[in-house]
Amino acid sequence: MIEWSAQHPRPLLRQPVNLAALAWLALGVLGALLASPLAPEGPIAADTTRSLLPPGPGGPLGTDLLGRGVLTRLLWGGRWTLGMGSLGLAIAVGLGLPTGLAAGFFGGHVEGVTMRLVDALLAFPGLLLAMAAVAVLGPGVISVAIAVGLAAAPAYARVARSAVLDVRAQPYVEAARALGGSEWRILARHVLPNAAAPLVAFAATQLGWILLNGAALTFLGLGAPPGTPDWGAMLNEGRGYLRDAPWVSGFPGLALTLTVLAANLLGDSLQKALRPH
Amino acid sequence: MKRLIPFLVLLSTLLAGCCDPLPPATPTATPLPFPSSGFTPTPIRLIYGLTLAPSGIDPHVNASSELGIPLTSVYDTLVYLDPESGEFVPGLAEDWDISEDEMAYTFYLRKGVTFHDGTPFDAEAVRFNLERITSPDLASQKARFMLGPYERTEVVDEYTVRIHLGEPFAPLLDSLSQVYLGMASPTAVEKWGSDYQLHQVGTGPFTFAEYVPQDYLLLRRNPDYAWGPKIYQHETALAEEIEFRFFADPATRSPALETGEAEIMGEIPPQDAVRLMESEDFIIEAVPIPGVSLMFFLNTTRAPLDDVDVRQALLYGTDRQAIVSTIFRDTSPVAYGPLAANTFGYEPAVRDYYAYDPTQAAALLDAAGWIDTDDDGIRDKDGEPLVLDMFLMSWGHMPEIGQLLAAQWAELGIGVNNQVVSYPEALEVAGEGRHHLIPFNLSGSDPDILRKFFHSEAGFNWSKLDDAEMDNWLEVAARTSDWEEREALYSQIQLRVMERGVAIPIRDYVNLNGASSQVEGLHFDAQGWFPWLIDVTVTEIQ
Amino acid sequence: MIARYIGRRLIQAASVLWLAATLAFVAMKLTPGDPAQALLAASGATETEIAERRTQLGLDDPLPLQYARYLWSLAQGDLGQSWLHGRSVGQMILEQFPATAELAISAIIIGTALGLALGVLAALRRSTWLDTAATALAVIGLSTPTYWSGLLAILLFSLHLRWLPATGEGDPRHLLLPSLVLGCALSGSIARLVRARVVEIMEEPFVQAARARGIPPWRVLLVHVLRPALPTALTVVALQFGFLLGGAVVTESVFARRGLGKLAVEAILWRDLPVVRGVIVLGALVYVLVNLAADLAQAWLNPRLREELA
Repeated sequence: MIEWSAQHPRPLLRQPVNLAALAWLALGVLGALLASPLAPEGPIAADTTRSLLPPGPGGPLGTDLLGRGVLTRLLWGGRWTLGMGSLGLAIAVGLGLPTGLAAGFFGGHVEGVTMRLVDALLAFPGLLLAMAAVAVLGPGVISVAIAVGLAAAPAYARVARSAVLDVRAQPYVEAARALGGSEWRILARHVLPNAAAPLVAFAATQLGWILLNGAALTFLGLGAPPGTPDWGAMLNEGRGYLRDAPWVSGFPGLALTLTVLAANLLGDSLQKALRPH
Repeated sequence: MKRLIPFLVLLSTLLAGCCDPLPPATPTATPLPFPSSGFTPTPIRLIYGLTLAPSGIDPHVNASSELGIPLTSVYDTLVYLDPESGEFVPGLAEDWDISEDEMAYTFYLRKGVTFHDGTPFDAEAVRFNLERITSPDLASQKARFMLGPYERTEVVDEYTVRIHLGEPFAPLLDSLSQVYLGMASPTAVEKWGSDYQLHQVGTGPFTFAEYVPQDYLLLRRNPDYAWGPKIYQHETALAEEIEFRFFADPATRSPALETGEAEIMGEIPPQDAVRLMESEDFIIEAVPIPGVSLMFFLNTTRAPLDDVDVRQALLYGTDRQAIVSTIFRDTSPVAYGPLAANTFGYEPAVRDYYAYDPTQAAALLDAAGWIDTDDDGIRDKDGEPLVLDMFLMSWGHMPEIGQLLAAQWAELGIGVNNQVVSYPEALEVAGEGRHHLIPFNLSGSDPDILRKFFHSEAGFNWSKLDDAEMDNWLEVAARTSDWEEREALYSQIQLRVMERGVAIPIRDYVNLNGASSQVEGLHFDAQGWFPWLIDVTVTEIQ
Repeated sequence: MIARYIGRRLIQAASVLWLAATLAFVAMKLTPGDPAQALLAASGATETEIAERRTQLGLDDPLPLQYARYLWSLAQGDLGQSWLHGRSVGQMILEQFPATAELAISAIIIGTALGLALGVLAALRRSTWLDTAATALAVIGLSTPTYWSGLLAILLFSLHLRWLPATGEGDPRHLLLPSLVLGCALSGSIARLVRARVVEIMEEPFVQAARARGIPPWRVLLVHVLRPALPTALTVVALQFGFLLGGAVVTESVFARRGLGKLAVEAILWRDLPVVRGVIVLGALVYVLVNLAADLAQAWLNPRLREELA
């Protein structure tokens, strides 16, 4: 029937979902870092006698048109995709966090101007904004990372501002002010640490968004040079052989989905755990 | 809540009403009501799938081969090139003379020909067309250049016209056999001006019925057609209507054919073609295209490719058979020289050059001083690594070929930087010589096409070749109409291209056309691209 | 006064749009590449002709003047000329807009229906396995890239089962698969927020009070819980419009449909910047308008909010 009242959730790290998500992310990072010893042939080496073999005869995940192992390319591609995601996130946080903090903390004109700018940027659909940025910056995986980072920054600024506003209203901040601390000190010692939690949670969710849209850009052919094993680009490569060799697109898409899922689940759990009651 | 549901209902009704009614999902051989006349063809309606929608479809102006597929049947040309015999046969011109100095071509035109809008076809119409093509205002991208050293057209009498050239030009008849020099109605051109491409009028077996840019083009049978060349197998068209639709994404072409969305589909990707060939319900009409084969041009002015040994090493180190088998599933022949094997003037001796020999390639590189001193897998010399810049376009499987070449050459210690660029950018890069390697292929039935790529002043001279002897051969071969002399010259040209290693031929272009097995009469002209739609029909009606 | 509220929102929307347009202007100015050259490149113009065209386009004028002219043309709906085709950008966008709108609207309908159903279900059976399953479905929905689920859908429903056409447009059958794919992705975020809102409402004192008064559960549900939750769905759809437009772009590419997506991608690949600018300014416009409409609709639907404003 209908559950009218809430139940109490288990502690964060004890929930199997979160463990699984963390494990997958760790696996992804590890795989990317260890690509060289695990798949020493590299992502470019072709073997035309082994073209479009299914998983089994073609290695664990099959081969693509040029006979390259899909697993090999996934591992090497992890560097590109996860690297692009990390760089994008770094840019989003690096730009969004200070902006939002300043707006929330200093208020007044600072808040007015910056938040207007943020709203204007948020009016652009995220992917389209990223696409426009790539048009300006030119093709390349770094451009894609910068583009999605830029597109993600305004949302981050918004969240940062709300977090700061929440904390600023707390009694201990008033107390610190009354005791006569400088604004910067209060920001650094009281506001930031307490606002950190929702910011970290949002960062995890944003990572999902950045990966999704960054790979969308490479899928559309706007990023990497041909042959780059970025997961989005791999998805695009396999489109022509969907019927004969669905594994060429299938596995990169799966890897991408699981990674985004993991990021989202972690973000969700963190937000739930840290939400004030 | 109260307002939301009606809103959604309204929205869905609006949505349902906004779309066109479903066309039949089964293979569309829909009989249409047809008034009886002397000849009653089977009322057939076909859907023909094209690829990229070109931005302009005026054959006098635009250069794409896509436009020629429908328009070859809307326009007639003065002469036709018979693909079987290689000879020119009468078209709108019943006969012709060439003057002694080969600078004046006189055409005796067929009488009783009318354009689709009723305008009579005569010498004045021919003059009007050629003047239009050569006028600078039109900014013709292809047709103008096909006329070479054209000077003027003289109307001798109502049905006799003479074309005057500045110097002899052997490819003239070949040019006049192509849709780009098809005869358009002067009345229509004057009436529609810059919108003419939306309302084209010719004399051909089909009329230009409707055109929605980027969407579809409809051709309708011309019942009055009675002056086709003898290579057409019927007097008037068998099909009543042919609708052309665009399928820019290669992955969509085979599914469209297989689900009955189209009866004929051009440029089917190789692996889909292989599958269709094994099916009883479909046929693949594989048409080799004459012209310049798909080649990677080596920039001979940019180090290290200025060293002929390095270029030859690349040629020896390329396993072309592997490329053709893997990427093209053996639907194309390997190319050994600059001309496709079915082009007039092809020199078979090019096959003796550069059989795949990686050992030889490595030896050449060693001898040229390129050795991997720092053990990073890339050869180097005087501190410079052997890395080549390759610019690719996004069509024709070029990105895949580029990757495979990079993989093959990586085994030789050569590094490759691949990039995909848009066509205008590619032209810019190649023009400025910023590339080491850049591919291209171009179709054409006359071997004079080689001049575009290998003459020192040519627009597509992407190898940056400057060979006076070659220039001379190309110029002479363009002027003389003695076939034997031309053949000998082109033979020398092809062998010289291979000796100097200025380009890496990969494969001959083969257009893989798919069609439902009920389609009959699908055959293509000497250019390989353009079907003679007059003979096309569908046998069974469901 | 509600009029004051509307007025305020309109001004806000206008200022956001103005800022967005300015950003687009700045971005184009920052990009390397000469517009005059890009327009004339293919036709082989001379240096003087290019210089002439530059002056003609007003590119040699002082920046503030260019900016003012830009805003003025924008206000009149003139988005400039495509560098690739030479046609009016506005015209090109107008031609492609219906196809994208068709896809977006169908996706919204499917996504909202699915999202509402999933979200309400999860909230009502909170903390049971049903909740977990529904929430999991929602998260999976919004984590799956449409360019992957689209390919899988094509593989299954078109290539293997032959139920639906893989690509193209023209009738509802062509629309079904892409809007399903996009709709499912959208439903994820709607489901989550609807669930949160319903849970929130269920914990409100007035709901408990209604139950205590003996009102039958289904009536409490329908009138007191779901009705206030509806505006949330609306807000989410409005907020997610940005995602929707982006998703439509990708989905159009996967299913080879015409539309703004294809236009934008082609424009970026060929560095046809006026078209890129036109598409994103249009995107911003649509987004702002949709959110404005949603806010106003919310004010209308929500009696409490109306009272607050009055």
